[in-house]
Order: sequence, then C-alpha cells, then structure tokens
Amino acid sequence: MVRRSLIIRALVAPTLLALMSSCAGERRGSGPSNELLIVGYDREPDTMNRYATHILEDIESCVVEGLVTNDERMNIVPVLALEVPTVANGGVRLRTDGGMDVVWKLRPGVKWHDGAPHTSADVKFTVDAINKGDWKPESVDGFDRISSVDTPDSLTAVVHYREIYAPYALQFVRGTLPRHLLLERDLNTANDYNRAPLGTGPYRVAEWRTGEYILLERVPGYWRGTTYPKIQRILFRFLTNTTTRINLLKSGEVHLVALVGWDKVRELNGIDGVRLNRVIGNGYEHVTLNQKHFPPFADLRVRRALAHAVDRDLLVRTILDGQVDVVNGPVQPLSPAYEPNVTTYAFDPTKSRALLSEAGWEPGADGIRVKDGQRLAFTLITQAGFAIRESVAQALQQAFRDVGVDATVRLMDGTSISGVWFSGEFDAMLHWWQMGADPELTLFFAGDRTPPAGRNIDYLKDDALTALLYRSDRTADIAARNEVLRAVQRRIAELAPEIFLYNTSKVDAVPARLRNFTGNPTNAGPFWNVHLWELAPP
Amino acid sequence: MRRVLQSVPLLVIISLLMFALLHLVPGGPLSAYLENPNVRPEDITRLRAALGLDRSLGVQYLSWLGAFVRGDWGYSIADGRPVLGRLVERIPATVELVGASSLLALAVALPAGILAAVHRGFDRASSVVAIAGISLPVFWFGLVLQLVFAITLGWFPSSGRASFGSTGFADRVAHLILPVAVLAAVQAAAWSRYLRRAMIQVLARPFIRAARTRGIRERDVVLRHALPNALAPFVTVVLLDAAMMASGAVVTESVFAWPGVGSLFTEALVKRDYPVLMALLLCGAIAVMALNLVADLAVRAIDPRIREDA
Repeated sequence: MVRRSLIIRALVAPTLLALMSSCAGERRGSGPSNELLIVGYDREPDTMNRYATHILEDIESCVVEGLVTNDERMNIVPVLALEVPTVANGGVRLRTDGGMDVVWKLRPGVKWHDGAPHTSADVKFTVDAINKGDWKPESVDGFDRISSVDTPDSLTAVVHYREIYAPYALQFVRGTLPRHLLLERDLNTANDYNRAPLGTGPYRVAEWRTGEYILLERVPGYWRGTTYPKIQRILFRFLTNTTTRINLLKSGEVHLVALVGWDKVRELNGIDGVRLNRVIGNGYEHVTLNQKHFPPFADLRVRRALAHAVDRDLLVRTILDGQVDVVNGPVQPLSPAYEPNVTTYAFDPTKSRALLSEAGWEPGADGIRVKDGQRLAFTLITQAGFAIRESVAQALQQAFRDVGVDATVRLMDGTSISGVWFSGEFDAMLHWWQMGADPELTLFFAGDRTPPAGRNIDYLKDDALTALLYRSDRTADIAARNEVLRAVQRRIAELAPEIFLYNTSKVDAVPARLRNFTGNPTNAGPFWNVHLWELAPP
Repeated sequence: MRRVLQSVPLLVIISLLMFALLHLVPGGPLSAYLENPNVRPEDITRLRAALGLDRSLGVQYLSWLGAFVRGDWGYSIADGRPVLGRLVERIPATVELVGASSLLALAVALPAGILAAVHRGFDRASSVVAIAGISLPVFWFGLVLQLVFAITLGWFPSSGRASFGSTGFADRVAHLILPVAVLAAVQAAAWSRYLRRAMIQVLARPFIRAARTRGIRERDVVLRHALPNALAPFVTVVLLDAAMMASGAVVTESVFAWPGVGSLFTEALVKRDYPVLMALLLCGAIAVMALNLVADLAVRAIDPRIREDA
C-alpha cells in the first residue's frame, strides 16, 4: 500500500511541476514588446466589416482606414483623404436647387493590402453598395441623401447630396469597400471579407479564432512609410468577464485593457508597468425626466427644482473620485461647437423647495409634496451592476427626498433597460448618452424626434428649440453651424429638460512604456493612431 | 424508439415555451443599436424589417419552427453567420471541459462515497468538505482560484484554452486545470454524497448480511455485492448531471474565458440573439432527454432485475 502511494507520488509530482513551470515560464517572460502587444478586449466583434459592426470599431480601424478620423482633441483629420472638404476650401459647393456637392481628393499612392490602388471608384462603389438596399449595414445615415457620385479622375470623388447634410465630413469615417474584390458579391454573406477585410491600414487579420482571439499582423509597405507601424503583431484576446480582464492585466498575461470601468480605477492604480491613460469622453451622464410618462415633469419649475436639489460637485468629488467634470449641457468642452455661457443650476435646496411650492407642490403628512391629491413620487431606473451608477442613484434619491420628492430606484440589466427607454415606459432614468463625433443634437431634443423617430426621451416639445435644431442640420458651413448649435445649447439649458450631471471619462490601462498612446474621446477609439505606437526599451 | 417518438411533442412544447420566455424578457436584438450614436432611428426600423422582427410573434415562431425542422437553423442576428456553424465550433471546447471535469469528479466521488459509507471517521470529515463544495458559488470559487493559483502564485494559466502560439499538449492540460477544478469540486461533492447514501441503504439490506455470514471478505462485500446495487441510481444521476453541467459551465467558461458553448450562450443572451439562443436551449433539452435515455439503458445493463421486468 505504502509502496503504491509512493509510486503515484513519484509519477504525479514531476508531471505537475513540469506543467506548472512550462506555463509559468512562458507567462513571466512575455511582457509587452514591439514584437507582440496583447490586448484584453471585452467582447468578440460580430464582424470585421466596419459598416456592419455594431460595436466599437477598435480592431477594424487597425485594418480599414477612413477617409478621415477624429483625433484626440475631437478634430476631424484626413487619413485617406488629402484634406477635409469645407465651404472655405472649395471642397463643398452649395447648389441652387438646395442640394450640395462634396469633393473628396484622395491621397495618392495608397494601395489596398493586395496591391491594388485605392481610388475614387472605391468611394463610388461604397455609396452604391449601401444604397442598393439588399445589404444590412449598421447605418445608412447620409448615404440615403446621396443621389450619385462622380469620379472625374481616379483620385477625385464628387458626392452629390439631394439636400444639405451638415455631418458630411464624417460620411466616410468608416472607409471604403474595395470594389475590385466585392463587385457583384452579396455583402451579407461575403464572410471572407467580413471576417478578414481587405484594407489599407497598418495591420491585417492574420487569424480569428472564434471565442478566443483575433491576431493582427503588420502589413509591409504601409503607405505612411516603411517604418510604420512599429509593433509587429497585436493580439486581441476576448475576455468578457471584467474581473478576469483586470486579473490578467495584473498578472501580465494581457498588456492593454481599453475602457476600464471607473469603479476599477482605484484597484488598478499602482500596478507595475501599467499606466492609466484618461481622456474626457464625448458623452454625459444625466437624469432623463420623461414628461410624457410622468406629467409633473412638464412643469419647468419642477425640472429646475430637481436640478437645484442635486449637489453635483459632491457626487464628483466623492463617488466618482474626481475622475470627471460637472457639465451643464450635452456638448463637451473639447468640441468646437461647445457653448460655455449657459444657464446653470447650482446646488440650492432652499431655491429648489421654493420652486416646488411655487408650482403648487406642498409637503404632505409624510414630507413628500402633494398637488391635487397626487404625490410627487416617481421611479428612477438605472442599469444594474454598474456600481458607481447605483451609488449615484441612491445619492440622488436622498437629494430629492430632502426637498420633498420621492424617487424609487429600480435597477435593470443593460439590454432590458434599452427596451424600456425606447418604449418610453419609465418616469426618470439615470444614464449617459455617448454622442457621435458630429455635434448634432436634433435626435435628442427636437420635438418630433421622440421614439421611435429619435432619442428625445425627455419628450420635450419646444418649437423655438426644434426650429434651431433643424437649422443646424441645414447649415453646411462648419463655423456657421457651430454658431447655431451654441444657440441650441443656450436654449436647452434654459429649458432644463434633464438634470445634467457630469461627463464621462475614458480610462485605458496601457503599458507604461507604450509611446504615442493618447486615447480618444470619440468613437474613433483609442486605436485611432495605432501606427505610431511603440514600446520604449525597458 | 417509442421513447424517441414520445419526446417529439415534448420538444415542440419546450421550444414554444422557450420562444415565449425569450420574447417576454425586455429588450431585443436591436437593443445594442438604440444607444449607438452612429445608428439613427430610421436605421433601426430598416434593420427590424430586414431581420423579420417586425412580424407578429406567432409568425416568427412558426417560420422558425418550420425552418428548424427542415434543418435550417437560421443565421445569427449578431454576426450573420449560420447558427449551426457557430454552435458546432464551440462544442469541442465544452466537451473537453465537461468531460475532464466529470472524469475527475467521478475519480474523487467513487472512492469518497464508498469510504464514507463504510468508515464513520472518514464520513464526518468528508461531509464537511462535501457540504462546502456544494455550497460554493462557482463564480466566486473560480475567481478565487484564478487569483491565488494564476495571479499570485503563477502556477497555472489564468484563462483561455491554450497559450497564444502554443500547440503543446502540456499547455492545453495546464489551461484545463483551474476550470476543471472548479467544475469538478462542485460535482464531486454532490456525487460523493449521493453514492454514500445509496451505499448505506444497500449495506443495510438482508442480502449483505447474508453475504457477511457466508464469510465473504468485507472488501468484497462492499465492492462486489453492495456497489453494483448502489451504482444503478448513481449512474442515472451522473449522466443527467453531465448534461446539466454544460449549463454550470456557463459561469465557469465566462470566468476562465473558455471558448465553449457556455460563453456562446452568455454572449447570445446579452445580445438577445434569438436564433442562437433557441438552438442552444433546444439542443440542451435534447441532450438532457438523450442522456436520460442513455441512463435508462445503462441501468438496464447494470441491473438485471430491471432487464427482467422489461
């Protein structure tokens, strides 16, 4: 008996040791390098086709480049285009019939990864493919207003719009489709392209192992020069579990995690070799007040009273660890359309109570205000499992109670909550909007843009504001349009349709030795300048 | 054959229930688009029509059922690839994980269950361990193992099925150790308790006493006379649990980024990818029924009394 157990031990122990040392050795030795950078990514892409995916295009944008992109200051900068067309540089011509023409000059010498030249025919093919109607791209916005595309030469595409389309500069931010590869193909089932698209970018898809990873490898002969990109291979590992992602960052098994949750920042401070890169995101957290579902919100005094009840500075200092800034409107300071001089609602419970009394809401027996037999009581919905938001919801509940308003917090999972707000079946909601790179606000505040026609879930109806919003959409000159958008922001602040809280912060955990990583406030994502990334020697 | 035919109407009812339940949960496949600033409301209307989600639920169900019966499992709403292909590519990883866990759990549960039935001291000790094992939340246990053995000690890889670029067998086994430990711990605990109880019941029966009075060695009494009798109900439980374990692997696969059916299910559920979810749930139901059938056959093979009854 004794001898047998000894034999087993003698066999098992070395096997285990060998196993342990084989993998531990490999892991300890694999820090980030210009040979291989490992990214812990929170989800597997649905498709690598930039026009069809409905998640962020982080991985795609390393392969397929747009005619333009957004830089870390939210400026629109040319990539495959030579310059961004504007009215001022003659790239945008307003026609007398109310339409407009946009002239895209393409960068010469750019080749697809298979060696074919990138030309204006690809631009035209992209528009035609999307407008043909038998494909399911994520969005056809703007394309549906294009009547035709002319290609006077191989590097010039003239896009004819039936009407003024203000966000025209971002029309081809998702790049173009290679005509020579996809002509006559059904894009819905062109899985060779959808899984490993042909691009012009610094990387191509070397391998996509479903459920595990996507490996990108450097493309030789990249158009920016033979020294770009600096990093040979980038491995995107799919790690859906947040704790697992953080654990792997700590153990060094992944080197970079984009968009770390705010509530994980404390935990990540001080990990060896990891730097937290923070930029203010192009989004804002707020409390939507649904006037349709809870009619007391239709009274401006009630909305202003609720805004005055909240100590936003305190929320930011305490629950949010000062990672974000208080905001007074939907447009972020980085945006060229930002208006700083708007009506603000400072923390002032006395004023809040006075406004509620003025509106006819007087404290009842239990301290909650009552008017015509109705209690000022509503449900505040927010996303479950997002620790910071849950804490903020409780703080708001307390703040409202202090002025005699009863808010019941209800937590819902992310997918369910989308369905609920889209149907308009809620009183108030604590959430954020991540805004597009274009400063358009029409979808969020125009009176006729309530669901399903838009995202105006405040159900705000203000004719002056709606008129301004549509004017901004019909102004092609960027500077003139921004003026209109500034007036829009002033009007929104007066109306206090929602309680503006603070902006969002985008925190990326990156190797401390990684050079030229800037992050990005827009959906262009942190990989927007991946060709410049380089690991400094240890 | 009769059993197989009987299960057909049951599967139809199950599929109807699943379909109804999935659609009762708020949110749908297009929820992800609603907050995406790049997608306009017009796009959502267009996509809803393109995906057939604007039809009445009855029509959607019937068209799904009709296609499913003909072997057309449809396309994933999330990535447009065929559902069958998405499912099949995940099966090997889950079979590997659940198979290894079941074998390990059996290897522990069999001796532990038998010993606990005959040895009072061991029974006390093992029951404490087993109850702890049964009560452990898989999610928490997985993260703790990961933290201790992968992050702090660095003995095993923390996640995934293989190291990037490695094709070695040892590497694959190393990746299995932590997730298998989690799944096996829970299962071994439950199975050992089950076998212990079955053994105790059998050991109290008169034929055991008769065997002992015939002077048969205690070891043979336990292993040759008692064990085969206790095994029949045990095998049923083990086989049914193995089918259920594919669902327990949902959590484990997520924690350890294991590319199996469980992670596919989590992913599809978050995205409300109805075609994938329906296929997964129905395959789950079929697996449980099939293993139930296998269990009946196995018991028949083990236990002559049942054969004679039939």
